[in-house]
Amino acid sequence: MGIYFDLKYFQQLQTEFPSVEFDAEEKEPKLYVSADELLPLMHRLKENSIWAFDRMANITAVDYKEYIEMVYILYSRRFDMWLTVKVKLPEEDTKVQSMTQVWPGTEFEEREIYDLMGVDFINHPDMRRILMPDDYPAHPLRKDFVPLQPKIQGGVLTWHKQKSSS
Amino acid sequence: MAQTEKFVLNMGPQHPSTHGVLQVQVELDGENIAGAKPVMGYLHRGIEKLMESKTYAQCVPLTDKLDYVSAMNNNLGFCLAVEKLAGIEVPERAQFIRVICAELNRIASHHVFIGSLTNDLGSATGMIYAFRDREKILDLFNIICGARMSCHYPRIGGVAADAQEEFFKLTQEFIDYVPQMLDEYDKLFAGNEIFQARMKNTSIISRKDALRFGMSGPNLRASGVEYDIRKIDKYSSYDKFDFDIPVGTTGDNWDRYMVRINEIKESAKIIQQAMDNMPDGPFMAKVPKMFKPPKGEAYHRVENTRGELGFYIVSDGTTKPYRVHIRRPSFINLQALDHMCKGMLLADAVTAFATIDPLMGEVDC
Repeated sequence: MGIYFDLKYFQQLQTEFPSVEFDAEEKEPKLYVSADELLPLMHRLKENSIWAFDRMANITAVDYKEYIEMVYILYSRRFDMWLTVKVKLPEEDTKVQSMTQVWPGTEFEEREIYDLMGVDFINHPDMRRILMPDDYPAHPLRKDFVPLQPKIQGGVLTWHKQKSSS
Repeated sequence: MAQTEKFVLNMGPQHPSTHGVLQVQVELDGENIAGAKPVMGYLHRGIEKLMESKTYAQCVPLTDKLDYVSAMNNNLGFCLAVEKLAGIEVPERAQFIRVICAELNRIASHHVFIGSLTNDLGSATGMIYAFRDREKILDLFNIICGARMSCHYPRIGGVAADAQEEFFKLTQEFIDYVPQMLDEYDKLFAGNEIFQARMKNTSIISRKDALRFGMSGPNLRASGVEYDIRKIDKYSSYDKFDFDIPVGTTGDNWDRYMVRINEIKESAKIIQQAMDNMPDGPFMAKVPKMFKPPKGEAYHRVENTRGELGFYIVSDGTTKPYRVHIRRPSFINLQALDHMCKGMLLADAVTAFATIDPLMGEVDC
């Protein structure tokens, strides 16, 4: 199962990155960081040889209605160590630095998050939809999503809001 | 002087060599490939969204349809993630039965790989042989859970029903047959000169590149990285079995094939050990009918037949998950396709599609 990131490293990171927050009471505290400091922090976590987080095990986003939370689960092969990093993005400004600058293998996953959750990734090499049609007007994994009705008008596929059934 | 220009060829979504509905936009410079872009989404069913409206127990059969040729492994991954979230202890007998099923399914999935690979290389005979043997495993699943492909056999807390003597007897017969089966494959494919010429030193992924693309599973191990979740995480009592991790050296198509053939041997070894040491006891833990895991989140990964399959579940304390995210190995492995195809001939692209072994049900989710 591996070990979890040590508490003393959290404090060490906190001196370096002032926006780092964590709940020391928790068994496996999550590391919260602001969107601005995410990229330098991730570079540090990957390149510092005392952690060597060489794998982005899982990257996803969760919609909590008021904000969207990016969840990065890092794994270090050398030390068999885990760390969860989280970034809260306000709903009106869902922009975050792309992790392809640190782990190039996150390209498709970030495209998927952009497609389904509507998070914009800055400096991503190929920011397009990946699963839904290119001109789809909504992001389906948002909690306020209502399925759209496909219609063919003049040979072109368009999407329409459903009429309320009441 | 003759002017040449690049030409874009669409392979798929309806193409016999693309394994389901994968579309690849191949950019051609003469007969050489200058780039290959996979286009996905033709099989997108929104399983992650669908899971938010189902109870935890109802989510398990949905995972069957992710990687539909290794359903047991997907069920197992989801159940383990939910069990981690709720802190359920699974009885040992259930863990052993799960391991047997997962490993049988791994062999069946590699049969599909061998069959489709040889079919793509122009030997339809190979497919018939591989699918003949896969049928034997599907019949075993039929006995143990009544379904052949969409098994839904591992449940939250254990397995759906206890395994009967008949199942163990027939599984033993199959395990005894495995060496003979692999011998036949060696004679048919690995010893074939054309097969070797098509596979050796084509579509090489170096160790560094494989790690850079975040690859996992047999594709990563073929590049020489010893990375197997079964060994690292030791979930579902995998630590009680003695098995090796087959690794390749160069990371070419040949290695990707040989790693999977050797994995079949190792899987057979695990099944044999699990059957010999099968403990007695209950096959299901006590899980309340109204199953409500506590508030929180959990991430659990398993070694699927195609790589590292992870489930990230957020619970809000109700009967339904608040959010489920699935880390699908074939989806991430596909990122290497462009790198694999560059500089190769168009005819070799078909081999590359086959050896990277994407399964569109999992890619599109």
